[in-house]
Amino acid sequence: MGVTLDSLWLGFSVALQPAVLWYAFLGCLVGTLVGVLPGIGPLAGISILLPITFGLNATNAIVMLAGIYYGSQYGGSTTSILLRIPGEASSVMTCIDGNAMARKGRAGAALCIAAVGSWIAGTFGVIVLTLVAPPLATIALKFGPPEYTALLVLGLVFLAYMSTTSLSRTLLMAAFGLLLGTIGIDPLSGHFRYSFDIPELGDGIGIVPVAVGLFGLGEILATPSHQVTGEVIRPKLRELWPNRQEWRDSGWPIARGTVLGFLIGIIPGSAHIISSFLSYAVEKKISKHPEEFGQGAVAGVAGPESANNAASTGAFVPMLALGIPTGPVTAVLMAALMIHGVPPGPSLVNDHPEVFWGFVASMYVGNVMLLALNLPLVGIFVHLLRIPYAYLYPLIIMFCVIGVYEVAHSIVDVWIMLIMGVVGYALKKFSFDPAPLVLGLVIAPIFEMSLRQSLIMSDGNWLIFLQRPIAFVLMIVCAGLLAMSAFSAFMARRDWRAQMAEEVKE
Amino acid sequence: MDRRQFVIGSAAAALWSHEAAAQEAFPSRAITILNAFPPGGANDLVTRPIATVLEPILKQPVVVETKAGAAGSVGAQVAANAKPDGYTLLSHNNGLAGYAEVDKLFARQPKTTRADFIPLARLSADPVLLLVNDQQPWKTLEEFIADAKKQPDKIIYSSGGFYGASHLPVAMIEHAAGIKGMRHLPTAGGGPAITAVLGNNAQMTTQTVQASLSHIKAGKLRALASYGATRSKALPDVPTMKEKGFDLEYYLWVGLFAPKGTPAAIVSTLTSAIDKAGASPQFTTAMANIGLEPSYQSAADFTKFWDEDSRRAEETIRQIGKVG
Repeated sequence: MGVTLDSLWLGFSVALQPAVLWYAFLGCLVGTLVGVLPGIGPLAGISILLPITFGLNATNAIVMLAGIYYGSQYGGSTTSILLRIPGEASSVMTCIDGNAMARKGRAGAALCIAAVGSWIAGTFGVIVLTLVAPPLATIALKFGPPEYTALLVLGLVFLAYMSTTSLSRTLLMAAFGLLLGTIGIDPLSGHFRYSFDIPELGDGIGIVPVAVGLFGLGEILATPSHQVTGEVIRPKLRELWPNRQEWRDSGWPIARGTVLGFLIGIIPGSAHIISSFLSYAVEKKISKHPEEFGQGAVAGVAGPESANNAASTGAFVPMLALGIPTGPVTAVLMAALMIHGVPPGPSLVNDHPEVFWGFVASMYVGNVMLLALNLPLVGIFVHLLRIPYAYLYPLIIMFCVIGVYEVAHSIVDVWIMLIMGVVGYALKKFSFDPAPLVLGLVIAPIFEMSLRQSLIMSDGNWLIFLQRPIAFVLMIVCAGLLAMSAFSAFMARRDWRAQMAEEVKE
Repeated sequence: MDRRQFVIGSAAAALWSHEAAAQEAFPSRAITILNAFPPGGANDLVTRPIATVLEPILKQPVVVETKAGAAGSVGAQVAANAKPDGYTLLSHNNGLAGYAEVDKLFARQPKTTRADFIPLARLSADPVLLLVNDQQPWKTLEEFIADAKKQPDKIIYSSGGFYGASHLPVAMIEHAAGIKGMRHLPTAGGGPAITAVLGNNAQMTTQTVQASLSHIKAGKLRALASYGATRSKALPDVPTMKEKGFDLEYYLWVGLFAPKGTPAAIVSTLTSAIDKAGASPQFTTAMANIGLEPSYQSAADFTKFWDEDSRRAEETIRQIGKVG
């Protein structure tokens, strides 16, 4: 502990140097912008700025690039809440209740809670990173394909709780999402599936074009067909901040989202995307008022927003402690360190303590900066809603198109977004919830890959999911959840089919 | 000036300016290097420094544009179909030779072949190592091969994907040593393949020196042999496959290409500029920082190397046959 404090002291002495502070600020600022602009994700932002850092020393470079990464997680919620455009996959869940809050005139409150939740989650993540990074990372390595499969099964079980519509509609949407997820190159054998000779479809249907199409464009297309009530969402200035009730309602969701997000974040691979989905499902499941979800529940913003920030900090654990990238963004950050002659990995702490601890300390500083940067911006962003729809909506469509194109420089993605916009419109008309569809799409490729990898490892023996301790525990949790819902259905003395039929009738 | 004069005049002006443009020295605007692989990978690490050094030499911006997807084949197809004017180049690697061969294997029409590209330079070549994790008993290549022959189904090797740069080297040693039936765990790339071995979800993999060095130094991975022609300077104790009696060589290399049909004059401008950049101290320092030994080859040598390397890859792909 004393050693950690000494090291942290060294870190802060590095992080508080004016030059390092400046680069941290620059990174956070660019990150916020990158997060606010839909489409230009952290990956593109960091890759574009990577060459600029060649002239800097390693500490300044990593501090700035990491600032872009975690800064973008703060900004990502803004467009979701105000315009219902998810800037990236992790802010899809924020669209639902965040935008519903904005419609009720609580946009300012939603933005504030997202920023504060992100700050708490980010800071918690850094503290845990400081204390227990190396042992935690070693445990995370145990997360092989069987554990992944079990985690995703858990995600699918949670799905039933996630949606605001009936179970059958939720499952239908999820199945549709899973099917869309099978498009593209078979992850194991390399064969093209359903790609119709379009090379871009080889990588499958991207999450961003689908999410932006379903949520953003679908919403806009649906607008002319119903009465526009422009008045409601213009908040008065004194209503910008969350009220006492809203603070109280978001406390525990932030705490739970933080821990959940961090744990999922340290797992190598792309599981971190599901952190916000899982958090949303957890909040809805344990909420006393699950019916409020989808209608502007504060917990539906606080939980997922904290979870995705904690996950982005958690992702640094395997990168710094083991030299393993958890996703494309950490891979680029590792590349940046290597270009500066600082190889990340187990020896990083000993070989370059000033880089490691300076970086960790700069994240404490950066999170405070981001909060200071984002809270005053809330007032400015909310004014966006004062723009009349006739001007705002064409602008949003333009941002959707540019943003989606920017992700992979692919015109095919723009078409996917436009088609998904029409699908989103249809789903809205028939009151289907698009969120399970997006989750299905997110999970499908990882689920398929890890399931098939597990069976390769076990030579086709399905018991592998029960023979490994972590996978076993996750499977028990799944079984428990299923048993619980079966039990409660039984207690209500209703046949589940009758219940479903009733729900559908609603 | 009446209308006729105006039309003739402007037509002449247009012609003149067109001619001027044709004679204009190359390059007169920004050059784009398409990188067919995701950010953070070997291609990205090598291409960005060379682009930075090329800018002052060509006196034009050199932009690296990521066009990743489908294991590098999306970028290759886009580059093959780009206008061959020298303003669109391609950064690619070993994969470029494999697509057509794999397509042939599955009786599909190849989308790009090697003939679609003009090699400009090899920027780097990193030898591949045969790696096992620290929980395995094998200390030498001989012990590993003996065990793999005895109980191949007990050994899982991980790779970055079928027919990829970490699948072919395993197939080569399997063929050369007569191992049959090891289990294959394909993952989504070199990084995840290493993670699988570190977590003991697989026991063996073949990855480059650069990608595995920090794990070897930390004692988590053990290198049993190198596929390089000579021993790696960073790992002088690791014997080469040739020393062990196997005539195998395999590198993960990164090269620059121009689309077929690029005028010879432009190609020679590019190659001399890239040669200058490749020899510059900035580029060599950047390579040393990443952990790559100097392995730059200019167009002539690279063309020869590429032919040889592709022949080896194609042969190995045929040996693997249809899988998956």
